[in-house]
Amino acid sequence: MMNLLLGYQPLLDLFLLHLGLAYAQWLVLRAGVFSLGTVGLAAVGAYTGGILVVTYGLPAPLALIASALSGGLVALALSVPLARLRGIYQAIATVAFIQIVLSLNIYATNVTGGAQGITGIPKTVGTPLLLVAGAVTIYLMYAITRSRLGRAFDAIRQNEAVAASLGVSIVRHQTLAFVLSGALAGVYGALEAFHSYALVPSQFGFPYLIAILSYVVFGGRTSLWGPIVGTAVLILLPEVVRPLADARMLVFGILLILTINFLPKGIADTLIERARGRRLGARRPAEADTAKGS
Amino acid sequence: MLLQQLLNGVVVGGVYALFAVGFNLVFGVQRLLNLAHGAVFMTGAFVAYYTVRAGGPLILGFVAAAVASGVLAMIIEIVCFRRLRKSGDAEFGAIISSMGAGMVIMTFWQWVSQTQVLRFPFDTVPVVIYRFWGLRVSLLQLLMAAAAIAIVLVMAWFIYRTAFGRQVRAVTDSERASMLVGINPNRIYNLTYFISGALAGAAGVLVGLAFNNINFTMGEPYLMFGFAIIILGGLGSIPGALMASLIFGMVQTLSIAYLPSGLTTAFIFSAMFLILLVRPNGLMGREEAGSLRGRR
Amino acid sequence: MALVLDNLSKRFGGVVASENVNITVPKGKITGLIGPNGAGKTTIVNMITGMLAVSGGTIRVDDTDITRAPADQICRAGLARTFQNIRILPENSVLDNILIGFHRHERCSTLSALLGLPASRRETAAMRARAEALLERFGMRHLAEYPAGGLSYGHQRRVEMMRALASEPEYILLDEPIAGMNDVESDALAVLFRDLADSGIGILLIEHNLRFVTRLCEHIYVLDGGRLIAEGAPEAVLSDPAVLTAYVGGEHA
Ligand SMILES: Nc1ncnc2c1ncn2[C@@H]1O[C@H](COP(=O)(O)OP(=O)(O)OP(=O)(O)O)[C@@H](O)[C@H]1O
Ligand SMILES: [Mg+2]
Repeated sequence: MMNLLLGYQPLLDLFLLHLGLAYAQWLVLRAGVFSLGTVGLAAVGAYTGGILVVTYGLPAPLALIASALSGGLVALALSVPLARLRGIYQAIATVAFIQIVLSLNIYATNVTGGAQGITGIPKTVGTPLLLVAGAVTIYLMYAITRSRLGRAFDAIRQNEAVAASLGVSIVRHQTLAFVLSGALAGVYGALEAFHSYALVPSQFGFPYLIAILSYVVFGGRTSLWGPIVGTAVLILLPEVVRPLADARMLVFGILLILTINFLPKGIADTLIERARGRRLGARRPAEADTAKGS
Repeated sequence: MLLQQLLNGVVVGGVYALFAVGFNLVFGVQRLLNLAHGAVFMTGAFVAYYTVRAGGPLILGFVAAAVASGVLAMIIEIVCFRRLRKSGDAEFGAIISSMGAGMVIMTFWQWVSQTQVLRFPFDTVPVVIYRFWGLRVSLLQLLMAAAAIAIVLVMAWFIYRTAFGRQVRAVTDSERASMLVGINPNRIYNLTYFISGALAGAAGVLVGLAFNNINFTMGEPYLMFGFAIIILGGLGSIPGALMASLIFGMVQTLSIAYLPSGLTTAFIFSAMFLILLVRPNGLMGREEAGSLRGRR
Repeated sequence: MALVLDNLSKRFGGVVASENVNITVPKGKITGLIGPNGAGKTTIVNMITGMLAVSGGTIRVDDTDITRAPADQICRAGLARTFQNIRILPENSVLDNILIGFHRHERCSTLSALLGLPASRRETAAMRARAEALLERFGMRHLAEYPAGGLSYGHQRRVEMMRALASEPEYILLDEPIAGMNDVESDALAVLFRDLADSGIGILLIEHNLRFVTRLCEHIYVLDGGRLIAEGAPEAVLSDPAVLTAYVGGEHA
């Protein structure tokens, strides 16, 4: 029994690390920011943490705080051009940002270790700490959802004109969402660094971006459950169906196409919607039947 | 020396133009970003390589690459976009969907090439150097420039001078209205995606020849350059994309020659951010309304 | 104390959507704005609420110039609106749609919202109570939990009104609020609008239903082709030959 659990421990760690980044991605999408830059911000946090610990010998907890700050600050700087852009342009700019981080990490060899990256990071993060981080993250996301911020994010995502007409400052809220998401990505980037022994620049590239996006799209982009369900299913799937393990990226690619076309809200959001429909249907008042379209 | 660099830049820019014009053509027609365009480009290089490997002449490889890439782009539109366009949130959906398609295509070529770097057989294009006015031009460069110019001219003629082009522009303006005058929008989309894919495939062959390096990640940087180019030229604008490609090719060659190596990409994309800061719709893009995001 | 449009103009390229429009919306009264389709009524509301840039003229609320203020600040200056082409948040429940209207009155700090501190939770609870009171007033209490996207147009319009009222505006701009409603529904709303005005809110009412406008407004403005062609008491305005021509011409166009 113990052995079985231990066998799954690496998987649990992986789940918790990816869950954090999935929430970072979820948070920006929720506020209607079309950012795909989460892994770039995670790279910023990971490198900040790695360099501070390895080169400057800072204790890991301090480095973690610095990683959150660096992720948040870079996001803040990035939000200035992003705030002026809409949809597709935001996506393009943030993908370009990933590329900038990647090439700077490769270029600045004496700081970042170049293409070889950073090795010899003391492993200070284990499953218990990741569990705590996961719980804190979920709580924060829950608190945001239930607060005025969550309501403002929802309004902006669904209709910017409505949000603005009700006094919601689009730029301020989207900047806030993006900075929070950057800080979260920074923290989880650093956790990833402290959890393994090494960092390489290519770690934070397109495949990672696609994995994170898959979790959120597949799980659901609006409910709190989305990232949990998406990350869990997509991390477990290759383990359960062994042949899929070698073709992980192929599976993610196909799933992205299928989900966005046939289940655009993702599993969790669709199920929650169905459940709500059933619950209300049971005591449906006559008026609700005169649906629109008349 | 500077002149030589500029010349090299123009040639590179011509190849970018093949890539970016197709990318932008599709965006102009459907307002959707095809993130699998880099994978389509790569497919061209692979198809040409395997054709030449199997003993076919280069020109056959070129044609096969263009056709295969064109058909692939068409399939991407049908599989990834057609359903989405009918739903509300196609802009986001298309990015996700085509990103998935790009991943599938990449994995396919990784599997076929077994993660190897492939090279065209020596002398696929004879190494001949012409010299004039103190400049050096290789046969390959001439070939690239000629192919780029020819293809872009044919395209321009197609879009601006033929009935098909008029239909494309009608569908771009309004899908509903064009259906009323008897145009089948899906046929137009098939054709535009075919053209866009064929252009990318041709670019893939030329790049594969120029660097003699074909591998399953070769599409990624070009997709990124494609982004930079359409930001520079304005999303959806074909002449803008052409101009921007040439400028981009020259800036890139110059920065490789004169900037510390490795910084080129960072430099180019930082420049792109600066442009976006000043002109949110791209350097030559039209103003899209929106006073919700700040002062009017 | 009034919302004052002074020589307001708007051009879309070559199209003149409004030209030198002067309108005053006093507090505590219902002011009508009518005109044939395409006259430029919605354009004016969009300019007032910061959704469209103004080409010329000024907009003032109680002597504060809001001509170039961004949309969210205009709301905070006390203006709210409804949309002619209904704009609700379709995924959210009716209650959540109204809750967002309270945004400008939410005071708890960003930090306490982030951390889910009691201040934030208390505020959310208080807003819910107020939203439920509004639902009661509009007779939609039983629909609170329904996704707003699935309601009938009449209900969706009322969700928009509740949402606008939640921001506790000094002025409210209603763009065709009773379109698609039956007489019973519109009569109920007429009573409601009267009450709102009596409580001191200034209302700008855009409506094609002239009977409704005549019944509620003391002063109406008539717009045609972006220009004001008449204003005054309803009976006088509606018998004005220029207005008749505009309407007859408009209906046959
Ligand atoms: N964004 C825009 N771009 C170009 N022209 C516009 C735009 N919005 C409105 N117009 C034009 O401005 C004129 C006024 O339109 P508006 O919607 O204000 O009319 P309206 O009085 O509200 O009509 P209705 O009674 O049909 O609602 C119309 O000719 C319309 O075509
Ligand atoms: Mg109108």
